[in-house]
Amino acid sequence: MELHTGLSFSVLCIQILVGLSKATILFIVASGLTLILGVLRIPNLAHGSLYMIGAFTTYSIATVFSQSSLGFWMALLLAPLLVALIGLIMEQGLFRFLYKRDHLMMLLFTFSFTLVFGDLVKLVWGSDYRSLAVPEIFQGSLSLLGMPFPRYNLFLLLLGPVFAAGLWFLTNRTLLGKVSRAAAVDREMVGAVGINVNRIYAAVFVLGCYLAGIGGALVAPTQNISQGMDHSIIIEIFLIVIIGGLGNVWGALLGAVIFGLTDAIGILVAPQFGIIFPYLAVITVLIFRPKGLLKSIW
Amino acid sequence: MKSSLKLFCLAALIGCSLLTASNAFAAETIKVGIVDTYSGPASTYTNDVRDAFALEVNKINAAGGIFGQQVEFVTRDSKFKVDLGMSAAKELVMREEVDILMGTINSALALAISDFAKQEKLPFLATFAKSAKITGEKGHRYVFSMNENTTMIGKAAATGLAKLPYTTYWIAGDDYEYGHAVADGVWENLKKLKPEVRLLGQSWWKVGEPDFTPYITAMLAEEPDAVIIATGGRDCVPFLKAAQTTGFNKLVPFYMHTATEISTLKPLGLTAPEGVIGTANYHSYYPDTAENRAFVAEFEKAYDRTPAVGALYGYITAQFISKAYAKAGEVDTEKFIDALEGLSVDSPVGTVTMRAEDHQIMLPMFMGVTTKVEGQQVLVASDIVTISAEDAMPSLEEIRKARQL
Amino acid sequence: MIFGVFGKKSLPLLVLFLVALIFLPYAAPRFYIYLASVILVTGLLATSLNLVLGYGGLYQFHHAVFYGIGAYTTGLMLTKTSLPAWVAFASAPVAAAFFGLLIGLICARLSSLHFGMLQISLGSLIWAIVYRWYDFTGGDDGIHGIPVPEAMSTTTSSYYFILAITTLCLLLMFIIIKSPFGRILQALRDNPERCEAIGVNITRHRIIAMVIAALFAGAAGSLFVTLEGSVFPELLSWTLSLEILIMCLLGGWFTFFGPMLGACLIISLRTFAGNYTEYWTLILGLMMMLTIFFLPKGVFGFVNELFRSKAPDLPLEESSHVAD
Repeated sequence: MELHTGLSFSVLCIQILVGLSKATILFIVASGLTLILGVLRIPNLAHGSLYMIGAFTTYSIATVFSQSSLGFWMALLLAPLLVALIGLIMEQGLFRFLYKRDHLMMLLFTFSFTLVFGDLVKLVWGSDYRSLAVPEIFQGSLSLLGMPFPRYNLFLLLLGPVFAAGLWFLTNRTLLGKVSRAAAVDREMVGAVGINVNRIYAAVFVLGCYLAGIGGALVAPTQNISQGMDHSIIIEIFLIVIIGGLGNVWGALLGAVIFGLTDAIGILVAPQFGIIFPYLAVITVLIFRPKGLLKSIW
Repeated sequence: MKSSLKLFCLAALIGCSLLTASNAFAAETIKVGIVDTYSGPASTYTNDVRDAFALEVNKINAAGGIFGQQVEFVTRDSKFKVDLGMSAAKELVMREEVDILMGTINSALALAISDFAKQEKLPFLATFAKSAKITGEKGHRYVFSMNENTTMIGKAAATGLAKLPYTTYWIAGDDYEYGHAVADGVWENLKKLKPEVRLLGQSWWKVGEPDFTPYITAMLAEEPDAVIIATGGRDCVPFLKAAQTTGFNKLVPFYMHTATEISTLKPLGLTAPEGVIGTANYHSYYPDTAENRAFVAEFEKAYDRTPAVGALYGYITAQFISKAYAKAGEVDTEKFIDALEGLSVDSPVGTVTMRAEDHQIMLPMFMGVTTKVEGQQVLVASDIVTISAEDAMPSLEEIRKARQL
Repeated sequence: MIFGVFGKKSLPLLVLFLVALIFLPYAAPRFYIYLASVILVTGLLATSLNLVLGYGGLYQFHHAVFYGIGAYTTGLMLTKTSLPAWVAFASAPVAAAFFGLLIGLICARLSSLHFGMLQISLGSLIWAIVYRWYDFTGGDDGIHGIPVPEAMSTTTSSYYFILAITTLCLLLMFIIIKSPFGRILQALRDNPERCEAIGVNITRHRIIAMVIAALFAGAAGSLFVTLEGSVFPELLSWTLSLEILIMCLLGGWFTFFGPMLGACLIISLRTFAGNYTEYWTLILGLMMMLTIFFLPKGVFGFVNELFRSKAPDLPLEESSHVAD
């Protein structure tokens, strides 16, 4: 196991920034999951599939516009809406009838969606992997501390706090947010007060799916868009949600940051076993704070 | 109403699981069973193998088959999993009763199937798997490799790199067997050919690494003359993309196997980085022989896409099967194997021979540099240097040592 | 509840079935013998999972780790040491049980989802180590051509070996479930607060249950080696863990033979449906959805309900889980 100790300061800084920009996407997708898990108590394994569908749809929409910058922005706008629509259909058509079932059943039910979506994506888009060009304004790199830092990563880095603030506002300051949190704790009481809990649930689920779609859209220019994207991200976001606290958006942010940073630094310090650093972080957190770092809704 | 629905579901479940297909083949055919990954990104490569194979098999059958028997083949998707692949291979042998097994891009699965073929005494023609262990350490009478392996890549690349003026190197790549094998192969041979080269260090990332920026910055900080990038199929495209974004290709020359191949360059289109040194076993435009042009035309007509290296493997596999049986005189496994050893066939890259001693096919390798060409949407390789098969093959001495004979 | 509704009358049925299995190699072509072996091994693994899942109520999300550890232990010992074969096979459950103890000690205090996710993290850690440690475990290539002893190297002989060990393990697990320990485990699943009130040490029981489940999973792993003669990192992947969870669900996780049936269904589906279409996972997904929607207790559970007699020890309604 090699340890790289002769690191220069600039490499470390760039590494941290890259880790944080990766964390943005993890945070956005994980926040969707934490809302669904926190409010609806559904361990939504299909969240990764929705993310993947978001990425593929982004590719298709952008390609319609010949992968120009306009194409990317159009895709960023439309793809998450499509994913949200799929979420709505899922919720209204199926999940609505299953809220009384226990977690394990819901987990496996959402997993069956993973299987179905996985094959549907293959059916619609084929099994080739796709590559989407980064929109022109973000192409190339800046020179930060003498090292190249891709502009797109900078974009992601700045986007993170924007989303965090927006989601906090949504969950804490709007009526929908407050009612959702109440419904998560005591569904019957909220219903008794005269609020249509079904609509609340549907809204939260759709929002969660929308966030997954945005995550997929944002990640599309940075990596291979292929089957298997759903599998690789689902464990990561579940772990983030667990260590952050169920239903807690700031928890998702914290979890994503921990994940992104330990991954980035692990790679630098011990590249061969870098893959285990995030898991070690998760294990440590769960041993000392089994309920997650921040407050869970339940 | 609800209980009858339940009954129906139960019946459906039972029905589905009791499906037993009758034998897919008619009597008296030569049966080939292909186990490979047809889902996910790897299928870009494996589809070509199957499609070119199908094309050739159709031609053979149209000309009367082999000793009057038609050649048929079935495919099974292993989804890049070893247990599914093994199950499929066993099903092909025990239930479909194939005469020959073929496949797969997954080296671990190829090794497992090779072992199985040895037990069953059935020929296994490995396509696309690049582990040198297949015909090296784990080679045996019943396995043949129809493509280049990591030793050959190493030797060929080293031959090309030794002629270039770089002395300090950095090695980076996918942290799995293939990555390390390629890197070791290139480096060991480079040191032999040019003793003054120095290795400054190495970095290894996990397979499917989404962000190469930190590795690229670390490499740039070390300032090597050149870098050897040992990525497997999955990471070639993303790495090249990252190289273009960070401008890595303009700052440091680097070498990557398959960087000049169409499978790698096509998804990137005009955003592919220029100046990357690559080796490949097949180009549709080089060598510009009548054979190659005919091959490309036929493939494009049938499948509406340009053939990549997988098509070459599929083509020569079909040719070898047909010629080996013809030379054997009858459909007999042992005679087939004896005939296959040392056999040569014509191909779009010239005459290729199956080396008798280790059952490894002798393929030439082409080294070039990625370049934009006026009017084309995909980059091509230029300044192509051919490394002959003889120069790239592992020596018989090395093989003997690996197999401990 | 074990035989479900069929009660004691099902015992002769079971014996008949076993006899049929013994005579299978005489009646069936080779491939079906192999397939039966695969189903037996996977079914054993699924049943060991059900010990903690269905009977224990634990969210055991990464059970495959113990299976993989068992398989690698046997594989490594057969390949790298010259110890007699029976030692290699006996070590597998022991090694797996050891890891079961380790993981149990770390996880057992947590409940439901957190328990499951922590287990996934720990399991993934072990997977990563196996995957990277090329020199010892063969890394991502795995180990192939493992020298399985002569007595069980052919399809038929390995089948008999697997049948014998599987039957033995199932018998042992059945005895454990029927024992006082098993009863307490089920009580813990249904109402942990009450059990604590009468003085049962929840954590200790959970850990013991996990060790036992791991032990049998390890045994299944060693059987896998005779089946394929190879080991590879996928045996420790979380996707396999999820697959066996599905088998328990589909077959019925409140019954003893449910997981075995689930294994049979899924393996048959994947072997045969794959011949017709490359989209058989789609079919599996749809089947799962239908089952969960309409047959929440799995196939066997549903069959029990169909012919329901007033069986006294039915588990409590599912809402008791939500209280976790």
